[in-house]
Amino acid sequence: MIEVQNLTKTFLQKDGSQLYAVDNLSFTANDGEIVCLLGVNGAGKTTTMRILSTIFRPTSGTALINGYSILRQPQKVRENLGFLSGDTGLYTRLSGREFISYFGELYGMTKSQINKHIEEMAELLDMKSFLDKKIDFLSSGMRQKVSIVRSIIHDPQVMIFDEPTSGLDILTARNIVSFIRECKIKGKCVLFSTHIMREAERLADRIVLIHRGRLMAEGTLEALRQDTQQTDLDDIFVTYVNRQNMEAEVMNNEF
Amino acid sequence: MNFKRALTVYRKEMLEMFRDKRTIFSTIILPFILYPLLFVGVSSLMMRQTAKLEKQGAVIAYADSVNNIASEIITKQLKEIENFDLIPYSDSTQKLYSEKNVHGIVSVRDSLQKGGIPVYIITIQMDKSTDRGKLIYDKVSGALRIAESDLVKFRLVEHGLSSEIVSTIKVQQIDTSTAQKKLGSLLGAILPYLLIMLLIAGASVVAGDLVAGEKERKTLETLLVSSAQRNEIVLGKYLTVITFALINVAVNLFSLYFSMRSIASQSGLEMAGVKFPTNGFLMLFLALIPLATFYAAILLSISTFSRNMKEARTYEQPIMLVSMLLAMSSFFPAIELNNGLALIPVINISLLFKAVMMSDFQISHLLLTIGSTLLLDIAAIIMTVKLFSNEAVLFRSETDTNLKQLKKNKKLFFTPFYGVIYFVLALLALYYLGGKWQHHKIVSGLIKTQAFIILLPILVILRIGKFNIRETLRLNNTPLANYLIVPCFAISGAIIAALIGQLINLIYPFPKEYLEQMSELLKMPSLNGWQVFALIALLPGICEEVMFRGFVYRFFEHKNKWYAIWISAAMFALFHLDPYRFIPVIFLGVLLGWLLYRTKSIFPSMLSHALNNATALAVMHLSRLNFMKPLISSDENLTWWLAVPALLLLSVSIYSFNIINYKPAETEL
Repeated sequence: MIEVQNLTKTFLQKDGSQLYAVDNLSFTANDGEIVCLLGVNGAGKTTTMRILSTIFRPTSGTALINGYSILRQPQKVRENLGFLSGDTGLYTRLSGREFISYFGELYGMTKSQINKHIEEMAELLDMKSFLDKKIDFLSSGMRQKVSIVRSIIHDPQVMIFDEPTSGLDILTARNIVSFIRECKIKGKCVLFSTHIMREAERLADRIVLIHRGRLMAEGTLEALRQDTQQTDLDDIFVTYVNRQNMEAEVMNNEF
Repeated sequence: MNFKRALTVYRKEMLEMFRDKRTIFSTIILPFILYPLLFVGVSSLMMRQTAKLEKQGAVIAYADSVNNIASEIITKQLKEIENFDLIPYSDSTQKLYSEKNVHGIVSVRDSLQKGGIPVYIITIQMDKSTDRGKLIYDKVSGALRIAESDLVKFRLVEHGLSSEIVSTIKVQQIDTSTAQKKLGSLLGAILPYLLIMLLIAGASVVAGDLVAGEKERKTLETLLVSSAQRNEIVLGKYLTVITFALINVAVNLFSLYFSMRSIASQSGLEMAGVKFPTNGFLMLFLALIPLATFYAAILLSISTFSRNMKEARTYEQPIMLVSMLLAMSSFFPAIELNNGLALIPVINISLLFKAVMMSDFQISHLLLTIGSTLLLDIAAIIMTVKLFSNEAVLFRSETDTNLKQLKKNKKLFFTPFYGVIYFVLALLALYYLGGKWQHHKIVSGLIKTQAFIILLPILVILRIGKFNIRETLRLNNTPLANYLIVPCFAISGAIIAALIGQLINLIYPFPKEYLEQMSELLKMPSLNGWQVFALIALLPGICEEVMFRGFVYRFFEHKNKWYAIWISAAMFALFHLDPYRFIPVIFLGVLLGWLLYRTKSIFPSMLSHALNNATALAVMHLSRLNFMKPLISSDENLTWWLAVPALLLLSVSIYSFNIINYKPAETEL
């Protein structure tokens, strides 16, 4: 389970001003649920996910991953978290098996645990033929499969996917989509980000819309449709953006 | 910290490195090919060239206008030079010489009467820029020396004296250096430089790949979300760099050792009872370990800071250059290791190598060298871990400001980039213009420097950029109490700075000429006391504060206050163009920068700067008065116990400033 509480992250700009990349963001994602973080490029999706995976420290606010605080127990958070992004690189001089084992060892797993897990996953994802080849020689689809196994090698309860399908071809993207569904079936908590509305429509149980670092709306697709009187997610999104802009204008006029 | 995880990182990095063909080639295979080729190839080539030249010989035209027994003796010697053709001088000789068919012309001119005894003047004409020209000069002048002594003997016999009479001095040399030591001094000059460079080269290839490479290949994020902690990752990578640097050095030493041995045995050194300094080589390797760890840390932090490998290469360049210059100290025969030099990185190792190779080194130097390197090493490692934990560094994004953006957003002007550019330009102006002015006329030169190089450009820039001068330079009002405390702050600061200077002088003694020059400069005999005060204290107090605390500080303040304080202080110290005073001036710069931050006004720091300079002046002028005697020791230095009251006074003034300027909701200025 992911609980995000008043998360704020500012970056110092060159001219000395602060940029609010994430601005007082709160939402939750439950076990056995797929939640989609939806927003345009630069909305703060990646920053949010980097904070959740303890790469960044928030300026204020906090989040709990499976009950562990990202501020006080970052180590525990990382142990309970699987992270996969679309543009993840791999160590191309290692073989797939070596690559996955490396991360397994970093998670403190024993050799036999790692090997057992790799065998299972290789069977499932049909990877046997290329598991011992150097990653340098693998196609992007094969690499993505290696990345998938890497992200789940320590069997985490929470999975975070940062734009997992960006830059992938249709077949490879399908692998990811079915993997995300698989995670849900296993009862894991899944948070994924995208700027592609169709992907959100197809996968998400609930959608969290963010714009300029702020929460715009949150709910099931059905609830969002009712709220905006629109059917298409594209239109829903635009409606909320317009609402936010209007609010901002009203605020400006008041002062 | 879990060492097992660090070890996992280490094992994986080593595996990856060993799979990288380029790294393997440059660190292991290349050295094995390089040295035999270099040594055997170059030396045989050189020997052959020399032999060839001697065999070729030269054609010499000989003009003799004396024609007596003396010229006979001379001609005889010239004819005995091997492979030289002697032809008589003729009208066409100069033409042949310009066509290079004749390579040299030797002429004996008519004697010059001196007390009735003839003196022969012999000219040798040749092109000394060519190897053949040098050969002609060496051979001909050698032959002439023999001819001269023959001629002397001939004259003595003529006068009925024994030729023995001229042999007054006979030089016999007893060389106590062993052949061992000679070889050592040769190796001692070249080896340290070579090995230090190899060490850096080997380490930089690996270090660049390990972090900047991960950023470039987008694997860093994945590594960071694994359960490995940052310091474990750094340790694993750090060990990898050290291992590869040492492998590189070991392989190079090994290859070098064997190719040199083979050369030595070829040239017969081994037979003369010379043993190759095998133990020395081993010791060198051990002495290199601390240096390897030091460079590993530095290069790894560069790699961490860089966005990609190309950038890492760029940032490595200055490190390489400085190391090269430091490592070259082994080339200078006069420099020997002492306790002071043993504290300077690279120079110490370089000189230690030399001492080891000559087999006379002191254990204390070895310990100081290793100790000081390890201290630096720890500092560098802490810095690397800090950098690695800094998200702004790890995920540094591409930013550039161009003039168009600058026009739109004036605030972008005060960024480190423009700060450095402004400082470099001002430094160049000071060096070329200011130096010239001051050399020409010291008083007007100092005034012109302060006014036109330090103050005026800033006012012009602020004017052109339509900045609010008062606000930008912080010409703010400040409580009167601040001005009352400034004297305590300034005087105690000046005393501590002076003591720091004296401390440095103890370790690295300033040259005498430098000290004399400094005190001459400060005495200014042509001016009266107030004029000196205005010139040395007041004027710099105002102008330099406007530049460093008012202007330069602005460029660096966005990040945090200490960053701005330290950078502006370092630039302030560099601006004095005086390596001996660098550290004391940095100390003063930090005090002044902190004062600016604390009071949010430039006036206290101006006053403090002026009073500080005045204190230095006063100490110099009043040092001869009686009541100053207890404060000043015999050699015109301040007594050390002054540090205690000075530190106390400084702490009290800092505390007072804190109280006066404390605001409950403190914001960065």
